[in-house]
Amino acid sequence: MTDTQVGGLESDEAASRGQAAARVGRLSTIGWPERVALVAFAAVTVALVLAPWLVGAGELEIVDDPFRGVLDDQLLGTDDQGRDVWARTVFGMRASWFSAVLVIAIGALIGGAIGLVAGFAGGWVDTILMRLTDAVLALPGPLVALAVVAATGSGLRNTLLAVAATWWPWYARIVRGQVFALSRRPHVEAARMGGVGRVRTAVVHVLPGTLGPVIVAASLDVGAVILVLAGLSFLGLGSPAPAAELGAMTARGLTYLFNAPWIALAPGTALFALGVVANFAGDATRDLLED
Amino acid sequence: MTADSESRPSEPVAAVRDLHLSFDTAHGRVRALRGVSLDLHSGEVLALVGESGSGKSVLSSCLLGLPPESRRTTVSGSVTVAGVDMLHGASAQRRSVRQRLLGAVFQDPLTSLDPTMRIGTQLTERGVSRARALRNLSQAGVPEQPRRVRQWPHELSGGLRQRVMLAMALGADGRLSGPGVDAVFDEEGSPVLIVADEPTTALDVSVQAQVLLLFDQLRREHGCALLLVTHDLGVAASIADRIAVLYAGRLCEVGSARDILTEPRHPYTAGLLHARLELDEAAVPVPISGAPPDPLRLPEGCAFAARCEHSTSICGDSLPELCTDRSGRAFACVNPLAAVPGRAAGKAPAAVGLIAERPGSRAEPVLRIDDVHKSFRIPGSRRDRLYAVAGVSLSVPEGGSLAIVGESGCGKTTLLRMACGLLEPDRGSVHWTDGLRPQLIFQDAGSSLTPWLSIGAQVAERLRGEGSRRSRRSAAAELLERVGLDRRAAKSLPRQLSGGQRQRAAIARALASAPRLLVCDEPVSALDASLSLRILEMLAEIRDELKLAILMVTHDLAAARHVAEEVLVMYLGRVVEAAPAYQLFRDPRHPYTRGLRAASPTREPGRLAPTLRGEPPTAVGEPAGCAFAGRCPDVEPSCRERPQVLELLGDDPRRQVACQVAVRAVPA
Amino acid sequence: MRRIVITRIVSMFGVLMLLTLAIFLIQNVLPADPVRSYFGRNATAEQLEAKRQELGYDKPIAVQYVNFLGRLVELDLGTSLRTRRPVTTDLADFIPATFELAAASLAIAGVLGVALGLLGTRRGVGTGAVRLVSVMWSSAPTFFVGLLGILLLYRRLGWLPPGGRTSNTLEATSTGFLFFGRLLRFELAGVWDAARHLLMPATVLALGPSVAIGRTLRGSLRDILRDDQVRTARAKGLTERAVLVRHGLRNALGPTLSMAGLQIGLLLAGVIVVEVVFSWPGLGQYLDQSIDRADFPAILGVVMVLGASYVVINTVVDLLQLAADPRLRSQR
Repeated sequence: MTDTQVGGLESDEAASRGQAAARVGRLSTIGWPERVALVAFAAVTVALVLAPWLVGAGELEIVDDPFRGVLDDQLLGTDDQGRDVWARTVFGMRASWFSAVLVIAIGALIGGAIGLVAGFAGGWVDTILMRLTDAVLALPGPLVALAVVAATGSGLRNTLLAVAATWWPWYARIVRGQVFALSRRPHVEAARMGGVGRVRTAVVHVLPGTLGPVIVAASLDVGAVILVLAGLSFLGLGSPAPAAELGAMTARGLTYLFNAPWIALAPGTALFALGVVANFAGDATRDLLED
Repeated sequence: MTADSESRPSEPVAAVRDLHLSFDTAHGRVRALRGVSLDLHSGEVLALVGESGSGKSVLSSCLLGLPPESRRTTVSGSVTVAGVDMLHGASAQRRSVRQRLLGAVFQDPLTSLDPTMRIGTQLTERGVSRARALRNLSQAGVPEQPRRVRQWPHELSGGLRQRVMLAMALGADGRLSGPGVDAVFDEEGSPVLIVADEPTTALDVSVQAQVLLLFDQLRREHGCALLLVTHDLGVAASIADRIAVLYAGRLCEVGSARDILTEPRHPYTAGLLHARLELDEAAVPVPISGAPPDPLRLPEGCAFAARCEHSTSICGDSLPELCTDRSGRAFACVNPLAAVPGRAAGKAPAAVGLIAERPGSRAEPVLRIDDVHKSFRIPGSRRDRLYAVAGVSLSVPEGGSLAIVGESGCGKTTLLRMACGLLEPDRGSVHWTDGLRPQLIFQDAGSSLTPWLSIGAQVAERLRGEGSRRSRRSAAAELLERVGLDRRAAKSLPRQLSGGQRQRAAIARALASAPRLLVCDEPVSALDASLSLRILEMLAEIRDELKLAILMVTHDLAAARHVAEEVLVMYLGRVVEAAPAYQLFRDPRHPYTRGLRAASPTREPGRLAPTLRGEPPTAVGEPAGCAFAGRCPDVEPSCRERPQVLELLGDDPRRQVACQVAVRAVPA
Repeated sequence: MRRIVITRIVSMFGVLMLLTLAIFLIQNVLPADPVRSYFGRNATAEQLEAKRQELGYDKPIAVQYVNFLGRLVELDLGTSLRTRRPVTTDLADFIPATFELAAASLAIAGVLGVALGLLGTRRGVGTGAVRLVSVMWSSAPTFFVGLLGILLLYRRLGWLPPGGRTSNTLEATSTGFLFFGRLLRFELAGVWDAARHLLMPATVLALGPSVAIGRTLRGSLRDILRDDQVRTARAKGLTERAVLVRHGLRNALGPTLSMAGLQIGLLLAGVIVVEVVFSWPGLGQYLDQSIDRADFPAILGVVMVLGASYVVINTVVDLLQLAADPRLRSQR
């Protein structure tokens, strides 16, 4: 991730050049699609917080006969056990959405802390931490997470921890790179020359600069993490059986794909919708904070 | 060197007619060019001069038929090269004009070549034979051509890369195909026009002079026209036959180089000339007041009127047209300067520079550096080290001013960082009076300010521990006013300020620490002439008021002359000459100093006599003899054996030179 | 140059060692007890202890790791709890099918990705549409796209088979190199049949990676086309196509390749899900069934094979990047 700030010299010259002039003011104006995406992200979050009060049935509640069709009595029919597919889907979305946010928060926290320590300490601490980070990055994350979950036994907590454990290196890299780049910028030397203390320099003159890239990366990651978690759940490595989880629901619905397609399609579509909202919001955040 | 414009063939090779160009930015519509008409004749060098934002680069792109691609770019008027419409013509036709008849050289040789392609492939890509490519290289002054064509761009120095760009511009051979252009194509396959957009701005002074001379020589050999786009009237003066001055998208004045440089009629041209820092002792620079207009909100009348001393009430009413007077001078001004020869020579030579020497200022040094050395590991090499600074001593007296001059890689920046305590010397010592740390002013003011903190907060931070928060805030505002910024600037973020304003803010922040010495690293090299002059004037003022000492590092001899009482010239980590400023510029002794002086552009038309060969080398390893021997015009065999050390020249202890030839030349 | 290549290869072995260590730790340190799962719930303490000693679980951890590596070199990954066969034998059976699927998918991802990247650089209406489609594609879980594909292309239109590798029931559970085998033997009808079966799963698997590749290509092309070097190329009178291909694509190759390398990691994880959806008799299905039965040695075996392929492929990508950018070659 590059330094988000344009140096003085560059921006002056860019302004004089036609081709680059369009780039200068992007910060102040984001288009309608981006605004819609950000609003949608917020709306989905709020709606899912309030989900239990918005949906009529519970996630495990048996409301009707099995395999009732769409719009028969329930909005999206019932599954093989007679549970309300709509209610289960909404609860599944809730789980997916907040799990993804949680995984990213844990990853960003661990990675951010490692990146900060490495960036500020420098020297051998930096070398060791970054070698470790690169090594973990060199491993295929989702596969390692899969092995960890398989070993620790499935369950939401284990799954989240396993994915977070393979996700943090990205953030460590970003934060460390940012600290490294910022610490070498003249403004940090200027602070040093002006007698500003080490701690204050770190907190006031370096740290805020790492936030932008981390937020951008995190917002772009939400969609990806939703998909990884869904994949694990699809393979039976998420919450154990009766819980409403979109991946597992889809896997279960596969059996009845031709007779009762809604059982598999409803949770699949829900995942897709979450992914779209998250990815558009991520793009919008990047446009907002970068360039 | 100035050719008579009357004797030119009537048919121009390139013609711009009433060219308008505008495009959208996020903030609004920019009118980059507003009715420009210009002719280029074969064999002439036309310099297009303007400050940043004047539209000069846009104009040069249009001549190449590559107008800027932005949102809703609209173009009207015409640009023809060799009879082909470069804006609206068929794209195949325009392309073959570019391929056959046009050459282009851009500012930054580091980014202008494709890093993934060998030099040879890039040269032959437009359908040039290998033999011709080798010949072009040799004409462009590239040595060892057969080896070069196999190299990658990153393996060449900046100067060489710019020569490769020039070789690429030097035309093709053989197959003369292309719709519609065969008629004007000459047999040699030379280009009819070379467009060079700030071709020497990124180069060292000595290399710049060589490249300019090469341009001059090549247009004579090939008989092509050259459009030299530059912000520096000095560069224009060195080889241009004619000069066109552009301001806010319109031409102010067009004329022969001699006319423009010696008796400008447009007040802006005169302003640019007077604002230029010159080596010439008689010249007293005067900045242009105000700032260029906002390209989004151009005034209805003359765009320069707001900054013009000669403006009258009618100037703001309508756009002045470019008119030709009886003597054949073309300028766009309703109230032009009188045509008095020699006017540009300036007012009476009252003072030598911005900073007058203070006789009693040699009391106690605020900074003393004794024999410092600094070397760096070269990445990827175990044994070799880069000897950036190899034994330099200096002292800056209280309230005094010292400039360190040198080209890239001479170690001046390393020395300066050691002077500030940002780097520890390997050997030698740095001593500050009272242990009070000097403050550093950076070259790139933008990156020396914290992007997310307001200017006021950054200045006030240096006052921490003094008084209340409120008193600190008002003290910060006072400092901002002292450096010529509005009090309201305290609330702005750095990116909301212009380049000049940022440099002022950085100076205000440095002053907040109440230093005894201000260390400046090329503080104005990123700014336009007039703006940099104003910053240097402001520094001089502050120095007088606060009894500050100044240590400045610069590549520009003229800037050093205007700021410093004493000057050190550095080459490859060593001081080669030290002298009081007036002596150094009047009577330079070291061959390197003399070469630098000769290579520095001045506003004198056609004066360019570079004596320095080659490019500044990298200080890898320790040379046996004089480090400069390889480029020295006066070199003797013994120079290569014996290292040259600084020796006194005459009885002034401040006048030293590290050259046995120069020392010998002075009668003891 | 030679030194760089050697360094990359040495570091590849380092990462492979790390992978074995990670798998070893997962197997031995994490709470699940492999011996207990071998016997099931009602094993006696003596049985457990005997098996522990037999498998070397009573030794210090470092010794266990060395033993583990030793067995790995002998291609001994233990015995599957489900099939009761050596895991290595099982893997050897299933690898060809997965290899064919992943290879086909990678090829499709490359072609689609480059197409998306190039479409996106065109000015005008297309850019927005390409961006929209890209985001949609990358947001869809592979199993969801797979379901839709089956419902539409098989159930509704009947164009493509819903799963499996071949229509020939005798070969329905065949595991070898079916497609390549038939190709080599010039059984054209057979090749056509195998290709039809490959098409849907491979495309579904390729969607995510192709969007990522396309996005990177588009981004770097956009930056490069703004560069001075491209201005130089245009000023030389090259056609737009030559500018794009010779200068644009060439310079965009490096970042695009490294993104492709990363995407292979996701592809190798995604292949598991896709195989389940399309009943593809490869490592993924084997893994899915092993997960259902908590067949530990089998799970780790699959992860080991897929993980090692990822590491090796990324090293190859690294080396390809050296070929693409001469500047990298002259660095250390």
